[in-house]
This record gives sequence, structure tokens and C-alpha cells, in this order.
Amino acid sequence: MPLLQLIARRLLQLTGVLAGISLVTFLLLHMAPGDPARLLAGERASAETIAAIRSQYGLDLPLWRQFLTYLANLFSGDIGLSLRFQRPVSQLIEQFMWPTLFLTVYVICLAVPPTVALAILGARRPGGVADQIIRLVGIAGLTIPVFWLGIMMSRLFGVSLGWFPVSGYGAGFIGHLHHLFLPAVSTAIWLVPVLTQSLRAALIEKTTADFVTAARAQGATERQIFWQTMLPNAVLPTLNLLGVMVAFMIGGAIIVETVYAVPGLGTLMVNALLGRDYYVVQGLTLVFAVSTVLITLLVDLLSAFIDPRVRL
Amino acid sequence: MSRPETGKPPLLDVKDLTVSFGGFAAVKNVSFTLQPGEILGIVGESGSGKSVTCRAVMRLLTGAARAQGTVALDGQDLLALGEEELCAIRGRDIGMIFQNPASHLNPLRRIGQQVAAPMIRHLGIGKREGLLRAVKLLEDVGIHEPEKRARSYPHEFSGGMKQRAMIAAAIGCQPKLLIADEPTTALDVTVQARILELLKELNRKTGLAMILISHDLGVVADICSRVVVMRNGEVVEQGPIDDVINRPRHAYTRLLIESQPGRKSYGSVGSPDRGKSLLRVENLSVTFPAGQGLLGGNSFRALDGVDLEINTGETVGIVGESGSGKSTLARSIIRLNTPSGGAIRLDGQDVGALAGEALTAFRRRVQMVFQNPYDSLNPRLTIAEAVAEPIWRHGIADRKTAREEADALLEMVELPGSLRDRKPQQLSGGQCQRVGLARALALKPQLLIADEITSALDVTTQAQILELLVRLQRQRSLTLLYISHDLAVVSSLCQRVYVFKAGRIVEQGVAQQVLSTPRDPYTQALVGSLARLPTTQTIPLSQGVATHAT
Amino acid sequence: MAESPVLAQTAPSIRRITPTMLVALVVLFGWLALALAAPVIAPCDPDAIDIMNMLSPPSAAHLFGTDQVGRDVFSRVLFASRIDLLLCVAGVLPPLLIGTTIGLLSGYFRGVVDNVFMRIYDLTVAFPFFVLVLAIVGVLGPGLLNFILALTLVGWVSYARLMRAQVLTIRESEYIQAAKCLGYSPAAILGHHVLPNAIGPVIAYAVSDAVLVMLAGASFGFLGLGAQPPAAEWGVMIADGQAFVQQAWWICLFPGLAAISLGLGFALLGDGLGQIHRRGATA
Repeated sequence: MPLLQLIARRLLQLTGVLAGISLVTFLLLHMAPGDPARLLAGERASAETIAAIRSQYGLDLPLWRQFLTYLANLFSGDIGLSLRFQRPVSQLIEQFMWPTLFLTVYVICLAVPPTVALAILGARRPGGVADQIIRLVGIAGLTIPVFWLGIMMSRLFGVSLGWFPVSGYGAGFIGHLHHLFLPAVSTAIWLVPVLTQSLRAALIEKTTADFVTAARAQGATERQIFWQTMLPNAVLPTLNLLGVMVAFMIGGAIIVETVYAVPGLGTLMVNALLGRDYYVVQGLTLVFAVSTVLITLLVDLLSAFIDPRVRL
Repeated sequence: MSRPETGKPPLLDVKDLTVSFGGFAAVKNVSFTLQPGEILGIVGESGSGKSVTCRAVMRLLTGAARAQGTVALDGQDLLALGEEELCAIRGRDIGMIFQNPASHLNPLRRIGQQVAAPMIRHLGIGKREGLLRAVKLLEDVGIHEPEKRARSYPHEFSGGMKQRAMIAAAIGCQPKLLIADEPTTALDVTVQARILELLKELNRKTGLAMILISHDLGVVADICSRVVVMRNGEVVEQGPIDDVINRPRHAYTRLLIESQPGRKSYGSVGSPDRGKSLLRVENLSVTFPAGQGLLGGNSFRALDGVDLEINTGETVGIVGESGSGKSTLARSIIRLNTPSGGAIRLDGQDVGALAGEALTAFRRRVQMVFQNPYDSLNPRLTIAEAVAEPIWRHGIADRKTAREEADALLEMVELPGSLRDRKPQQLSGGQCQRVGLARALALKPQLLIADEITSALDVTTQAQILELLVRLQRQRSLTLLYISHDLAVVSSLCQRVYVFKAGRIVEQGVAQQVLSTPRDPYTQALVGSLARLPTTQTIPLSQGVATHAT
Repeated sequence: MAESPVLAQTAPSIRRITPTMLVALVVLFGWLALALAAPVIAPCDPDAIDIMNMLSPPSAAHLFGTDQVGRDVFSRVLFASRIDLLLCVAGVLPPLLIGTTIGLLSGYFRGVVDNVFMRIYDLTVAFPFFVLVLAIVGVLGPGLLNFILALTLVGWVSYARLMRAQVLTIRESEYIQAAKCLGYSPAAILGHHVLPNAIGPVIAYAVSDAVLVMLAGASFGFLGLGAQPPAAEWGVMIADGQAFVQQAWWICLFPGLAAISLGLGFALLGDGLGQIHRRGATA
């Protein structure tokens, strides 16, 4: 079956990319100017501390040996130790990942319905008033700095109106929904325009597609044509974009989480960066990359499921 | 040829149909009728309004188009119907098939479902019943293993099979009328012949009335009983096919008939003048890696042990369908492909081994004109710049002199000087091909390769370009390698011809002989597929079978 | 059949500039003028601390109010535009130049170089853009220069990819085959035939990318990893104002609006350019 072959091929590709990711994250630490041991130990560490760290982390070994050790550690699930928390990075990630996951799913749930609605509205009459407004507002939406929007919204809805909490994660499902509403909306406002543009363009392209004319010539009503022919064909490029965007959103979440003080991976990352907790930065980068790869894989499989032509 | 049922009211009566887009009238006062059981041809070149006419009949035009007049199907005016009534008629009473079957099938749905969809929609049958009937229909239109093929997706079908599937979908509801808009234009000639045969058979067996739109008078003459000739949105002439072809009243119809390939000989056909050998292709093979499957390693052999020879001053034709390797040969000669075996020799010198000065000299001796009029010119250069570029790049003249030479070349290919500062998008297809010729001749080559240079052009434009080509050949004593899918064109132009199939030469010889007495079965099929105009006054009527309504 | 010349004749008119693009150009040149003239127009020294006038709301004296140490927000917004505009140029040009060159060569010559590039591309898209830039800046140390460096290190790949895709279609077109057949040198073909036809969408993308770069730059400033305080930069200013947003909304509001207006200029221009190329491709 082509689908099985596709999965096999993608898994093979995946190993290559994963190897590359581990190499890049490994080299990340060595990109820093100066002695990595000094970086890890901090500016004011004594010579003994640095020497101790050097041998503890194997930094006195040749680079390729260090990489092999790093790989071996990865295989056993060890992605380093936080210098600040003195805890394994994997434990930290496990602790901080839930708000980020919740936020990501929340944003997708908030973003997809308006995307579909707006794209359809715009594509119904390309170049019409509604379409022009959606397009211009969409472009404007892209230019808003997410952190600024977050601050402004928390000031308006959180402080002035008092409708939503402006920080934290809350307790229980309802609490999470309530606390993460403003962060999710801030991100969705940025995400919706991108997706709408893509879906709208695809829909408009499909309105003039030959197979749409053929369906019309076979007596299909406009409704049937839209739902059965145009939409399925137009969804594919947007699905791919959604995959890219979710990966992008992980980046966006870093900022939003910082603004709203959500205890998620983004906050962990920024604090680690500012606190020079390099193993946490390295581990998080690895985790972000692996999740991006998995999302892309998921989107590819979904596309292959919808479109019989996809085989790559 | 179909036999119209006379004495009955017409099935379709189009009166004073005018279609305008904004201020531009694409179709002006077109009137014609179609009797039940009849096949009517509408013939015309691009921009003649033939496709717009039939799309107006089906009401398939975009919102910007305005149609006036009446289009009566069984007395009911289609132009006056509401959307809902229209949907009930489209696909039920009128079926339609299109030029490019590949793009008219929904890529995401299985063939069986797509064939069944109109029946499920119009006949109120269930999905299972629809699929069963779809399989039967696929069998009827000549698709082998219909149960298995019904589960395939469009991309797994060949071009001819896709068109068969489109036909199956169009006739499922047993419509009264089938509109076929250039149904064979995108297909190879042998496939075209089979599809036309299928349409004829449908007409014979079920009495299905058809409108066949085509740019190709030969195709229309092959299966239609009456023909409407259109030009610039107007009907210039209509009548029974043999009247129109043998006694054309309008000058344009005469031009159209004159321009038919095979109707005209382009002078150079004479006794093959045996000059000395110029180009020899020896046991040439070209392979391309095919796909990158997990298994890999598979390669596709585009040319497989080809031997041929071209003599000085000769016109040699190469004929083949898509995938026959004819373009690969052209690209190999000008070193755009690297052969995997064999050699190409110009005056005995191995072309593949040329480098430096020798290669530059080779480039000046061998030039090529390409297939696609718009794609073969850099869209950012004016045509004068495009023609001048080879001259100054080869250091033959400075830029200013090169511009003057370019003007002379453009004049030579009969392009008015007022066009010299235009860009390709502002020219017609025929004009672009003239520029391509001028550019290829700028280096004064000895051998000119023409790869399908007229296949994107209208038939009257094709005739003009061929005439120009022959004149240039004579004036500049060119050796010509003419590549085409059209045996008729090749045999009217060339002295010798090679027939290609699947990367091999299956037949070679004097052009007229190959056309009149083909020896290889494939060449025979190719000759048999030629939709040629009958040359005699008497046109044999095919056995018209009494139509039985089903 | 060859496409109708009626349709083709409309092609040159697409070069016309649309009204939205005109607006975009006015905005962009407006900001450029403001940035250049900042020392002349700004009413106050952007770094002058005035403890007596802390957090004072917008007034005739201080158009946009003052911040927590009494600096004039209006003057700071003006001066910040110099950094942010420079950021857009410095963040876009290096990846554009590097990426275009690599994409051009790798798409035209294919072979090993192309294979290596594709693997690098696969690897780079495996990382979320922002995360990778963040991690690199984190390791190299905060600051604008390191930010630009990280941006170039990651950003060239998108340009190369886009350019390569363009070149891959163009190299198969018949006018390139004709050029090869006419014996033009690879340099002439690349420079005179491939590049001019391929660069359009890349430029359109670069203009849109300027928005992204500016927003990323401001975000880094906000996180404390980009421009360093007390430098006037919109992101830094917003970060400064965040703590006081309840009493003094104006500290955050105006730099944000400034960023949006500059972003809109780039986005509308990029959108217009992109549309021209999309329409040109179908015309």
C-alpha cells in the first residue's frame, strides 16, 4: 500500500532529521564564545569549580566523544541537568509542558472556526467589500506585536473591566480555560489572518478549477459543489500551513506566556536564557524541534489520507 | 457519419445567441439547429467563440458574461431557466465532456464515484446501485477490468482512459444531447482515433445527438454530418459537411481547408537530393532516473539504440506520439541531454566531446526552435533584444550593430518593425514563433531543429509558419530536422521521415511512401488515425444504424 | 491552442501600483523621513531623565506623556524608529543576499550542492524559527548584533528555498534551453535570464519578511535579549512600560502603535508586490 510505504519512507527521513537536530542542539552549546565550562559555571566561578565542571560534564574530551556521550544520554532519556534547579531537564519539561499544550490546543480551537468562516465569506465574492475588509484586517493583524497586544488586552479586559485573570494558569479545566483565555485570544488574533489568507486563496483558485466546471455541467448545485468539491481540494494547502503555524506558535507561546506569566515551557525557556541555564535551553530546543517534526509528520499523514496523489 | 432524423422538430435550436464580456462580444448572433440523432460539428480557431457558444448553451459562463438570444432544448429556453431548473437539466438532458480530461476530474475522488455521481443526483438511485451502473458504463466505454478501475483515482488513469471516464459520467443518465468541447485535442493521435470511434458508436447505438467542437476540420469531417464554421464570434458558414468541404462559399472556409496539413505540399518535397552526410546519430541511448522509490535504481530509457542520418540541405522529419523520445533526440543533439550510450557526430566529429572554441563553433552551426511560443522567449526582453542577444554575445558584432541585424532578421520573418520593442506577452503565438525562428537564425546556422514548433498554433497560422520555414530554408540553404506528432504535416514538408515509438525507430523512408504504404503496424495505426479531409467528391456514408431510443 | 493575445495584452498593466501600495510607500517613506529628522523634530532629548515629571499623561508639553523616569515618550518613539528601521534592513538584507545566491546556484546546477542544501533546509525547518533564533541569541549573548547574526544564520534558508523553487521552474522553461542552445555562458544565463525572472517573488517575500524581522526584533527587545536599555527601541519601551501599564497606559500604547504602522507599511507593500507576481504568473 502506498500509505504504508509513505509512512516507512517518512520514518526513515525522520531518523536523519532527528540525528541532525541532536547535532545542532549539541553544537549550540559550543557556539558560545569562550569556554563552555566557564559558561556553565558562571562568570565568577573559581578555577577549581570550572575544572570540576569540565570533568563532570566531560568537556575535556574531544568533541566527537562528547557528541557520542550526548547521543547516548539522549537515548536513555537524559537531556541534561538544570544548573539552577539542580533537577533533570526532562523533569522540568514534564512539569512545565501542560500549560503550553493546553494553550496550543486552545488556540487551535479558537482559531479554526473563524478561519473557515472568514475564508468562505471572502471567497464567496472575491474582490467584494467583505473580501477586501477581511484581507486588509488580516494584513493588519499580522503586524501587531503579540506581546504588546497581550499587555493592552490584559490592561483592558483584566484590569479595567476585570473579566479575565491576567496571569497564571488557574486550577481545574474551567480554571485553565478562564486563565488562558486572554493568552489564547492574543495568539489566535495573529494566527487567524495567516490561515484565512491561505484558505481564501485556495478556495478562490478552486472556483475556477476545471473539475468544478465539470461538476456544474453534471448538474451539481452550488452547495454541493462547494462542500463536496471545492472545500476538500482547498483544505490541503491550509492544512500544511496549519502544521507550520503550530510550530510557529510554539515560538509565539514563548512571548505570550511571558506576558501573562503562564508557567509553561516558554516561560521556562526565557528564564533559562536570562539565567544562563544552558542545559535547559539545549533540552528545550531539542524538545521543541522534535515536536515540530512530529506535527509535520502528522500533517503529512493527514494530507496523504485526504489526497491520494501525495506519496512523498 | 450520423444520419439526422428529418421532419422532426429540432432537438436544440439556437437563435441569435450573443455573448458579451463587459463591452467585448465574444459571440455575435449565432444561430444553428441540431436534429435528434445528429452529430453537429462546430469548427473554428482560437478566439472564434466556439467554446463560449457551447458553454453559453450549458449556462456555464462566469458571472461577467451576458448571454442574449434563445437556446431552446425541446422547445424550452435554457437561457430563461432558474438555477434550480438548470441543475435538473445539466447532466440529465445534456452531458458535456471537455478538452483536458485530467483537470476536469476531481483528483480526490475515485473514478467510480465520479461516474456514479450524476446518476445518483438525477435518477434518485442509491449509492450501491449507482456504483454498479458506473462499472457497467466504464465497461461500455471500453475500460478493461471496470470493477477494479472504478476504485482507482484519476491520477492512476492514462489520458485516454480519463476521457473515457468523462464520457461514461456524461452518458450515465442517457441524455438527449452530448456536448464535446475539443474532446481529443489533448490526446495522442491514435488515442484520438479511438475516442472518436467510441463517440460514433454511441451515436449509432443509442441515437445520442452530439455537438462536437473542434479546431480540427479533419476530426469534424470524420464524424459529423453537418458543420458550423465560426470565426471571431460569428458563423461564417454552415451546412452539410460535404457541401462545406467541397464547395466552400466563404473565403475563410476555403483558407481553413487549404491550411489543413496534408492538403498542401510545401514545395521542398521533391526527389531527395543526396547531399553529403551532415549529422549522424549512432546507436544513441538516453536514460533518465525514474522516480525515487524505496526500491530505486529503476531508470527510464527515453531513447534506445537510435541510428539516423541527416544530409546537407535535406529536410528530415521525425514523427512520434508523446513519450516516443523525439524531443529527447532533439535535446541530445543540442547537448541539453547527456547520452548514456552511442554518439552524435557532426561532420564526423563527436558532439559530446566538444569543448571551448569547438563547442562555440558547434553552437553557431546547429540551432533549435522550440515548441511553446510564449515559454521559449524570455518574458523580460523585447523581441529585438532577444534576437540581438546571440549576435553580440558571440562577438559577431557590437551591441548597436547587433540591434540593426536583429531588425533585419525580424523583417526576414515578416514581423513589422512596429513590434520590435514589444515583449512576448504582447504578441500572438504565431508572432512569437517567428521571433523564435529569427533568434535561431541569428547565428546563421547550418542545421535547424524545429521541435513541434506549430503544435501550439492554429491551423491557418501553422500553414503560414510552415511556408515561412520552407522559404527560409531555400534562401539560407538550411538543413532542417522537423519534429512533430503530426504525420500529415511532416509528410507534406519533409523528404525523409523517421517514425519513433517508445524510444526506437520503427520505420524510416521517403515521406510520401511511408504515408501511402506504411509497413510497420504502428505506422499503419498512425496513418489510419489521421483525421484527414476526404479529397474526393463522394464521401462514403458510414452504415447508419436505425436509432433505437432506450 | 495558443493563448489569446487579448488576454495577454493586459499583462503589462499589472505593473501599475495599486492605491494600497501607494499608501504603503507613503508610510514607509514617512517613517524614513521621521527617523532621519528625529534629532531636529524631537522636542526633548530621548534619554533626558526628569524625575519631577514622572508618568505624566499626554499633554501639550509631552505629546505622548512621559515614562517612569520622566523621559518624553514622543521623542523616544521618534528616536526608536532609527533602531527599528535599521533592524528591518539589517535583518533582511544579509539573509536575502546569502539565500538568493545559494538558492540560485543550487537550483540551477543541482547536484551535490543542491543535495546538501536540501538537507540543511530539512534540518532548519525542524526547529521553530523563533526558538532557534532565541537559543542562538541566548548562547551568543543578548544584543542587537547577535540578534542579526542569529537571524541571518536561520533566515537565509527560507530565501534560498524560495529562490530555488523559482529557479527550478525557470530552468526547465524553453527560453533557458534556448539560451543554452545559443551557447550563452552560465554566468550570462544566470544573470541575464534566470535571476531577473526569479527574483520578483523573493523581493515580495523580503518586504513581507521585514514585518516579521521588526516584530521579532521588538520581541527580543521586550524579552531583554535584543536592544539593551536604556536605548530607545519600541520593544524595550513596551517592556519598560509593562510594569506601569495600570497607571500609565501611554508608555506602552504609543511604541506599539508605531510598530504596527511601520509593519503595515511593509506588509501592504509586500502584499501588493506579491499580488503582482501571482497575477503575472497566471496572466
